[in-house]
Amino acid sequence: MSDIAIPIRRPSTFARLFEAYGQEIVVLAAIVVLFAIVGMVNPRFLSDTNLTSIFSGNAYIAVAAIGMAMVIISGHIDVSVGSLIGVLATIAGTLAVSGYPIWVAWLVPVLVGIAINTCLGALIAYMRIPSIVATLGMLSILKGGLISATGGTWITGMPPGFFIAQARLFGIPSPVYFMVVLTILVALWMRYSATGRSIYAVGGNGEAARASGLNPERTCVLVFALHGFFAGIAALLFATQLQVIQSTVPPNLELTVITAAVIGGVSILGGTGTVIGSTLAAILFACIGSALIFLNVSAYWLRAVLGLLILATVLADMARRRRSFSP
Amino acid sequence: MSAAWKSLLLRHETILGGLLVITLIVLAFQSDRFFTADNLLNQGRLMAEVGLVALAMTFVIVTGGIDLSVGSILGLVAILLGVFWQKLGLPLPLAMVLGIVVGGVAGLVNGLIITRFGVPPLIATLATLALYRGLAEGISQARSVRGYPDWFFMLGQGEFLGVPVQLWIFGLCAIIAAVILGLSTFGRATYAIGSNAVAARFSGLSVDRSLLLIYTASGLIAGLAAVIFVSRVSTTRSDMGTGLELDVITAVVLGGTSIFGGRGTIIGTLLGLGLMQALKNGLALAGVKGDGTIVVIGAVLIGTILISNIFRKDADG
Amino acid sequence: MIRKTLFAAAALAAMAGSAFAASAWTGGDDLPTNPLACDGTAGAAAAKPYDGGEPTGAPDRKAKKITVVDVPKLIGIGYFNATSKGIADAAKELGNVDAKTDGPTQANIDQQITFIDNYITSGVDGILFAANDPVAIAPVLKKALSKGINVVGYDANSQPDARQWFVNQAEFNGIAKAMVDNLAKEIGEEGAFAIVTSTFTTPNQARWIAEMAAYAEKCHPKMKWLETVEAQEDNVLSFNQATTLINKYGDELKGIFGMTSVATPASAEAVTQANKCGTIAVVGLATPNAMKPYVEKDCVKSVVLWNPVDLGYAAMQVLRAVADGDLKPGATSVKAGKLGELQVINGSEILLGAPFVFSKENIGQFDF
Repeated sequence: MSDIAIPIRRPSTFARLFEAYGQEIVVLAAIVVLFAIVGMVNPRFLSDTNLTSIFSGNAYIAVAAIGMAMVIISGHIDVSVGSLIGVLATIAGTLAVSGYPIWVAWLVPVLVGIAINTCLGALIAYMRIPSIVATLGMLSILKGGLISATGGTWITGMPPGFFIAQARLFGIPSPVYFMVVLTILVALWMRYSATGRSIYAVGGNGEAARASGLNPERTCVLVFALHGFFAGIAALLFATQLQVIQSTVPPNLELTVITAAVIGGVSILGGTGTVIGSTLAAILFACIGSALIFLNVSAYWLRAVLGLLILATVLADMARRRRSFSP
Repeated sequence: MSAAWKSLLLRHETILGGLLVITLIVLAFQSDRFFTADNLLNQGRLMAEVGLVALAMTFVIVTGGIDLSVGSILGLVAILLGVFWQKLGLPLPLAMVLGIVVGGVAGLVNGLIITRFGVPPLIATLATLALYRGLAEGISQARSVRGYPDWFFMLGQGEFLGVPVQLWIFGLCAIIAAVILGLSTFGRATYAIGSNAVAARFSGLSVDRSLLLIYTASGLIAGLAAVIFVSRVSTTRSDMGTGLELDVITAVVLGGTSIFGGRGTIIGTLLGLGLMQALKNGLALAGVKGDGTIVVIGAVLIGTILISNIFRKDADG
Repeated sequence: MIRKTLFAAAALAAMAGSAFAASAWTGGDDLPTNPLACDGTAGAAAAKPYDGGEPTGAPDRKAKKITVVDVPKLIGIGYFNATSKGIADAAKELGNVDAKTDGPTQANIDQQITFIDNYITSGVDGILFAANDPVAIAPVLKKALSKGINVVGYDANSQPDARQWFVNQAEFNGIAKAMVDNLAKEIGEEGAFAIVTSTFTTPNQARWIAEMAAYAEKCHPKMKWLETVEAQEDNVLSFNQATTLINKYGDELKGIFGMTSVATPASAEAVTQANKCGTIAVVGLATPNAMKPYVEKDCVKSVVLWNPVDLGYAAMQVLRAVADGDLKPGATSVKAGKLGELQVINGSEILLGAPFVFSKENIGQFDF
């Protein structure tokens, strides 16, 4: 039995890094490749104006995906986030045009987001309603309620100071700062704080987490409350990007947000993944959307290409996992 | 009261059945046009496609899986039906069969991704949701196919013995599905997989084969629903079936099928479908607008599961 | 694995790049186009016999109170809020109509059909509709006619025999001419332009684009059509698509057409935020309120649209006239309240008028 004698090779730093952040690296590589290829075809793709619009125009999706990633890591899902963002954006706009101070118009939607999702979290944690059912119901309630309340009128004429997403600092639009800062803060918090790590523990195995003294119910409510906070911020960025707020639910937003979180390496089974991955995935989507126009890909095939890409990433992730699990 | 009686009374299906009866009575008092044979049969016609897909979805969810791609498969098959018939010049019956087969293949692909690569169903079908819809859009190039021969409309607009044709198809499929899930070995295997896939595997069930069959069936049924849908609206468009998956899942979950797998019945799904359609129709007749109806359906979904959970806790304790 | 993924991505990108030679427009509905004359002489419309449908067994509704439901393509966008307001205004003015608007929250054919079907059962006297698909909606409208319900369409037509009359806001080729002429005036005969539309499957938009292509080829042959992008009925997506077009073509892009009331303000916003006001012209279909900021800042010079409030108003008036028996097949005009006499064209369509061009001088007078 000679193979027993073979010394165990220590994995290289890169291999260990890849094991820990495999999916993030894959997504990052995809972004780099996309930039390289599209940049070669049309150098204007890499112009600073295009880069800024890719990043800032889609930052709200990345911010919403941070909350979604946390929800999924904790072992749940939320299909109502698109409707929630629509509702919160409308609240922000309505307050702004009704003459309330601008800080009220910014703060209230965030608080309402936290409140709604705390209730949702409690319903899921303490009433044992599966999250997909509770949020499917919430999706209907918010969507229908929004149209009932507003009649679908557009909101215009917000005061000039309201448009926080159009502000720039050092030439970079504010949504980019929101996206980067929130992602880093949450990534650090989830990795190093006890509460943050408990989210992984609960998502990985709720009963084991309970046995080791954690409270899965409380964690669930906390995660949903935070998710509501991020939805609130996303709604602000969404509402202040343009001069007009469409007081209806943006179509398919929840699917985009969930897909970003999942492609970013957050396993739908819970317990793994990082918000860095979800943010990178949101950026990747934004790049693809822009790249398709630059590459003259007929828009008829846009969704097919996106679907293939999602499938490729997921299959790659699965293959990688299998390899790292096998002895 | 004996324990058996109590557990029967507190079953989700019983609660839901009671709720459905109350709803029907209330709605019948709201509008005298609600409880007429004409209206009820017409509602059956309108819900047949969602109903068909919900039957297969019940199996999928009982295994602990989900299939988000059904709406996109419906769109893809609808487009292909038109393309096969008009662009390739195939006879319409052949085009219909081929279309349904493509639906089956799309379902099989879902199944393969899920079983061979171990991708969670939610993710796998989320990806194919985009992929199949994209294919439908790409193939159709935004063109509609119209001008089907008159006999084709029999399927979606005709009647047989006074009952809409698609309702016969739906009824037949429902009986078959109920028998398979409730009485056959395959049905027991489906529950076993949903309760505990690993245990099912160790007890000698071929889990992968069952899953492949179920996802393929889901695609086939979505294909069948597509043909009926095209016949009902007499044209094909690539955006057909958008959002269908949410309606279907709502009906199935409302019917008491546990999203975690292992629990659920076809009867429950039928009740869920009935309640959903009755609310949509009845509230509209009672003068409630569409957006109000959406709110009510959401609230009923959460409320029903909540009540059912509370009762089950009682029954358990 | 990385290598494989990279390879796959590269292959995908290469495939994407090579497989789809950029053609500006491959959609449309295969219907023949009918571009107007370049100098604006009206096209000779051949007189056509009435080709609409007839309700069977409709009761005498003359001067009686009627209930009417309006089912637009979708609810919750500015345009259909405006038509709905027009309908409500007309109902109030007439005094003997009970009108309400209800419809799907997304432009979805199946849901629209279900809505109409439910209202048929509930026993309304009249249905107003704007079709998401002309063929798909036909069976349910024919069912309404067979139950003696008066059916009138506006904005987006159905097959003629599935409804009685259709109020046409402006003919497709008229819109196309107004759009292309206005852009040509702003960017010159050799400028390059791109189009932001809702989806390629939306019938009206597809028609307009086909007519615009035909008219541009006939009357402005040197204008260069770069690309058409889809943006649903979504504000932020429209903005992102327009921004990407601006970034992609740089100085080459001289003009953007917005084909929907959502895409046009979003395109104007994209031009504004890119500091390209004055160098990139935006011409499009839009409601005045959403466009006021851009028109007042001189970023947008012309907005093409009929008045959607008038459109809804006319549709309601026509329905009342049909119910009263005042508008019969073969009529050549109809009285529509404050709008006066409207002409009948194409057999069973009622023309609201020529498209209206909003500009800085007159936009302040409109509030919808």
